[in-house]
Amino acid sequence: MGEAAAPETVVVIDDDYAMRLSCCKILSKMGFGVEAFEDGTRGLEGVGRLKPGLIVVDLKMPGISGMEVISRVHEIDPQITIVVITGYATIDTAVEAMKCGAYDFLPKPFSPDELRLIVNRGLERRRLSLESQRCEVERAMLKRRFVTFVSHQLRTPLVAIHQYLDVLKHLGDTAEVAAKREEWIDRCLKRTDELQSLIADWLTLARVEGGTLTKERIKVDLKQLLPGILKTYEAMAAGEGVSLHAALSEAPLCVSGDWNCLTVLFDNLITNGIKYNRPGGKVTVSGWPAEGEVVVTVGDTGVGIPEQYRPFLFDEFFRIKDEGAKKTTGTGLGLHISKKIVAEMAGSLDFESQPGTGSTFRVRVPAWHEADVAKTGSSE
Amino acid sequence: MTRVEKRILIVDDDRDFVEATQAFLEANGFTVLKAHNGKDGVKLAKMERPDLILMDIMMDERTEGFFTIQEMRRQEELKGVPIFVISSLYTEMPDFDNPPDRAWLAHDEFLAKPVDMVQLVEKIRQRIGQPA
Repeated sequence: MGEAAAPETVVVIDDDYAMRLSCCKILSKMGFGVEAFEDGTRGLEGVGRLKPGLIVVDLKMPGISGMEVISRVHEIDPQITIVVITGYATIDTAVEAMKCGAYDFLPKPFSPDELRLIVNRGLERRRLSLESQRCEVERAMLKRRFVTFVSHQLRTPLVAIHQYLDVLKHLGDTAEVAAKREEWIDRCLKRTDELQSLIADWLTLARVEGGTLTKERIKVDLKQLLPGILKTYEAMAAGEGVSLHAALSEAPLCVSGDWNCLTVLFDNLITNGIKYNRPGGKVTVSGWPAEGEVVVTVGDTGVGIPEQYRPFLFDEFFRIKDEGAKKTTGTGLGLHISKKIVAEMAGSLDFESQPGTGSTFRVRVPAWHEADVAKTGSSE
Repeated sequence: MTRVEKRILIVDDDRDFVEATQAFLEANGFTVLKAHNGKDGVKLAKMERPDLILMDIMMDERTEGFFTIQEMRRQEELKGVPIFVISSLYTEMPDFDNPPDRAWLAHDEFLAKPVDMVQLVEKIRQRIGQPA
């Protein structure tokens, strides 16, 4: 991941000068920042200050014992990996040390290779454990957030429907409410549609995440797919006063993918282009081959995406909440799903946007190679 | 005879919820003011000083209602105006990243969505009386 490659710091605590010297030499040659200390007190002070990833500590030292160093180090940071060095006949102590939380031990004398091996292994384990801790925290947070959003998004239309029905039940025969009956029933139906599309989008998302939606890889010519999709949305576009245009290159635009999956992708991009547009506006779908890839852009002439929303555009449930965009309906999952679909196809999805002029979404996916046939076993 | 108006401000981003609730309150003699986000809610409340406020929680921001209540509580001209929270978030919300100041608990009633309209009117009457 994008972490700064600051060299890991290793601390050596040993009362033996020659041992400190040779450990320092070997470890700094491995590219670590190394500091050595001659006793536990100084060593612990150093650990607190340097926040090392790993320490090498001699178990038998005057002053604070190595065993105590272990427990105090873990009080400072339980994720620091500890390797203990033991003299002969102290294997029992080494085992004891490992029970206290040391990662491994090196019996004296040891070779430079043994030190290198154990330090690398220790740091690798630390890296994995930090990584999984981070993933765990993130996963738990996402899950909680997801549950809150899902329940809120499901409840909102249900509450509206319930509220209308409640009022109709209590006041249905009054003149004021009778006059509203038609309109309210229509609203209820609209809100059930909202629930339907929410559920449909979640199912699509679950299928994309489960990998089942993108599993099928057949040869799909976008020159056949895209005009069909545009036709589907002609009526919707006309309703918004938006015209649809295709600018596809002469050459076929064949990619390796799943027809339904690609349909979901371009459905999302094209309907967004229509919804976030202006009367008299245009949505233009262009496509051309480019160095082993197929590029498709979907451009609109809408208000553009305000700068502050851009980093969140592909987040699940994210929707722009500007006054102008408020009237549009949506689940907040369309672009999130689209991004995932493209990623599954080893492609990329990005966008450019000019406030007041419009936005263009660009899909790049690997072009179809005849060799793909052999891989998928499909023939056309 | 002077008519004693009772005015209720509904702050909720779901227009259907507002429409249905408005119809029921009006049928029961209340006058309804409405806002669809917290900012407009505060503005309208300060301008009109309603007799009671119904407040949603999750609007544009996930905790918008809480912060709106806090803001309203700070307004001198809104002193003593009861605020009823009506929200589908009726757990103690363990999942909010930044728990708002507990001062939001100063709301006067917490009603779960969907709300029983008859019960809602009953609670409003108990608090501010029936419009004459």
